[in-house]
Amino acid sequence: MTMQNKNEKLGQGVGFERIRRITGYLVGTMDKWNDAKRAEERDRVKHGLTKNA
Amino acid sequence: MIQSIIKRDGRVVLYDQNKIAAAILKALEASSEGNAADAARVANDVQRELEGLFSKETPNIEAIQDSVERQLMNHGFSAAAKAYILYRANRTRAREANTALMKTIDEITNIDARISDMKRDNANIDGNTAMGSMLQIGAAGAKAYNEMYLLRPEHAKAYREGDIHIHDFDFYSLTTTCCQIDILKLFHGGFSTGHGYLREPQNIQSYAALAAIAIQSNQNDQHGGQSIPNFDYGMAEGVAKTYSKAYIRRLKEALEDLLGLESDEMENVRQVVFAAERACGEPVKMENGKAFDEAVAKELAVKYAITETQAAAVIARARKRAWQKTDRDTKQAMEGFVHNLNTMHSRAGAQTPFSSINYGTDTSPEGRMVIRNILLALEAGLGHGETCIFPIHIFKVKEGINYNEGDPNYDLFRLSCRVSAKRLFPNYTFLDAPYNLQYYVPGRPETEVATMGCRTRVMGNVYDPDRQISYSRGNLSFTSINLPRIAIEAKGDEKVFYEKLEAMLELVAQQLLDRFEIQADKHIYNYPFLMGQGIWLDSDHLTVQDDLREVLKHGTLSIGFIGLAETLTALYGQHHGQSEDMQAKGQEILGFMRKFCDNKSQALKMNVTLLGTPAEGLSGRFIRMDQKRYGKIPGVTDREYYTNSFHIPVWFPISAYDKIRLEAPYHALCNAGHISYVELDGDTARNVEAFESIVRCMHDHGIGYGSINHPVDRDPVCGYVGIIGDVCPRCGRREGEEVAPERIAEMKRMYPEMPAFQGIQ
Repeated sequence: MTMQNKNEKLGQGVGFERIRRITGYLVGTMDKWNDAKRAEERDRVKHGLTKNA
Repeated sequence: MIQSIIKRDGRVVLYDQNKIAAAILKALEASSEGNAADAARVANDVQRELEGLFSKETPNIEAIQDSVERQLMNHGFSAAAKAYILYRANRTRAREANTALMKTIDEITNIDARISDMKRDNANIDGNTAMGSMLQIGAAGAKAYNEMYLLRPEHAKAYREGDIHIHDFDFYSLTTTCCQIDILKLFHGGFSTGHGYLREPQNIQSYAALAAIAIQSNQNDQHGGQSIPNFDYGMAEGVAKTYSKAYIRRLKEALEDLLGLESDEMENVRQVVFAAERACGEPVKMENGKAFDEAVAKELAVKYAITETQAAAVIARARKRAWQKTDRDTKQAMEGFVHNLNTMHSRAGAQTPFSSINYGTDTSPEGRMVIRNILLALEAGLGHGETCIFPIHIFKVKEGINYNEGDPNYDLFRLSCRVSAKRLFPNYTFLDAPYNLQYYVPGRPETEVATMGCRTRVMGNVYDPDRQISYSRGNLSFTSINLPRIAIEAKGDEKVFYEKLEAMLELVAQQLLDRFEIQADKHIYNYPFLMGQGIWLDSDHLTVQDDLREVLKHGTLSIGFIGLAETLTALYGQHHGQSEDMQAKGQEILGFMRKFCDNKSQALKMNVTLLGTPAEGLSGRFIRMDQKRYGKIPGVTDREYYTNSFHIPVWFPISAYDKIRLEAPYHALCNAGHISYVELDGDTARNVEAFESIVRCMHDHGIGYGSINHPVDRDPVCGYVGIIGDVCPRCGRREGEEVAPERIAEMKRMYPEMPAFQGIQ
């Protein structure tokens, strides 16, 4: 654990967390996913709410 | 004259004809073709041949073995020659496996998980940690052993070449997958974790803490995810105990305040309440009948010379305060439970337990308090507002209980939608789907379908038709079929496809039964918690001598599959999202597989079920092999993954409504487990009405288990949770960028919930 002591550096090198459902369960960050599941996540398209997309 | 030979590792050793004769004798005995004299004759001829071939150089092992094969044939020992060739091939495979194993361990030891795809096969294991690596090394060793010694050659070949995938193969000889833990049965009378005995818990905090310990303990006895099917009913008992104590204490305090008493009236008040409990035949609860409060009021009036109206006011105050205290305790208990499950370790610290909790149908005031508070804890997130990864929350939807306006838990269903729209959980399981409703008996929560792990479901019971319940049962093992490959190999011929599919189903069923034989030989002492504490159905009747064969038959053996979409495309040119004809063909294929499982179940009187496999590691494994074999076939092998189970491909544009409508019929067929996802953009997901309409659409179409995906991002610097594109909408920084201290101070004034501590943890 590294504390950020110097206020002027807050956030430097800190990424965003992106939580996604992998296969029924959630994974905190995408960097633990295997290559195939990463590709699959990248390809996911959103589903519209109207009856015909 | 042969004097020396060269071994495989290059060492030169003295030539010894006796060793050759001994090996030949083994082959002759194995095939019952000859004796020691025969072996000596063949060995003499081997020597003669070698002397002719190697007059000057030194022969190596391979040359000697080639000669042994030839001389066995020359002498007419053809069966022995065959046995010897097989033995050689096996030894070669073992040597190669050893080399591969060492290479694998080398990769686990030396390569960063961010680079090594193998180390990210399961995203729930951190391959960079010491214990995570140890687990992976152990798994690699176990797999090598299991393939060499435990699998039939035809099963090993099918597994190695990617016709099938044997899940949790590292645990092949060790244990079973998962179990629904009936938490009430476990708590009653107390239990032992295997490392110490715990008394029956007496308040909601202890109930919640021990529920987490139960999940952790069982995780060490099985290789899959652990689940509590009755989280609301189970925790409700703890809430009732907390309320009962709080009620007596608050009653005593209200009475002392009213009368200005200095004495401690605890014992007297307790006696009053006990008397009322005896008179009314029910314990103190959040909602007792009118008669109960009147009985207490009467007693108090007599004992303390106050009017019954005064007594009633004291009781009302005590009830209100006891409720508030219980609600506070329940909230803390639920927050603690969620924190525990996200931070506690299992399997030597390599994983947080893979856990699920099912709830939503308990309509008692205590159960409702549990449901509301666990949802609020989930909504609040962890210490810095992070989304909880575990447990998986599953909300059970049931008409008459929580689905429609006016149902007793409708408010909690609405709350669940609000929470899921923010935190991705709960998922939803639908008790009204016909294949779930057929088991449902009102007032018997064990007949409510529940899920565990990624999607596993256990309900029907061919082995014991009187016990068609979700509690205390689970999956034993599962193996998945590479469905697209069968379609590719069939080359568009439907008849050939079904013939090959049936042969593959037979092969998998046999392999599952072979594995069952290993599992059936185990004893309760192999599973001190799962079997020793009576978690598994009927295990409480076992003695140390009994094997587990009969009780394990309550579990399921499941045949899984991947890539129905690619299968249809390979066979017919289109997938089931593209035409109604393909939808019919898709149902035909899965219907055929389900029929096979049902027939096997009846023949064996065991539960063989069909699974829409989760396929985390598998999605890439099969298709990589198939690309090597067949190249990139458009719509079949041209991506990096096969489509999950019966899903419409993730990249195919389709409305939520159509996706649900098309996938629902497959839920009915996949009785071992199924799930459907809908992907919403962030704005739609945060519209609770829109979110609820999707859940209702799933319910009305007969989906069994579903969840709604939407982006949940978080900026650890300013604490913003929501959708973050390239730039954080709150603090305006890009990934990795710093934020000025003045801006931080300004935001802290605007957003009090901002984490006090920023940075990398």
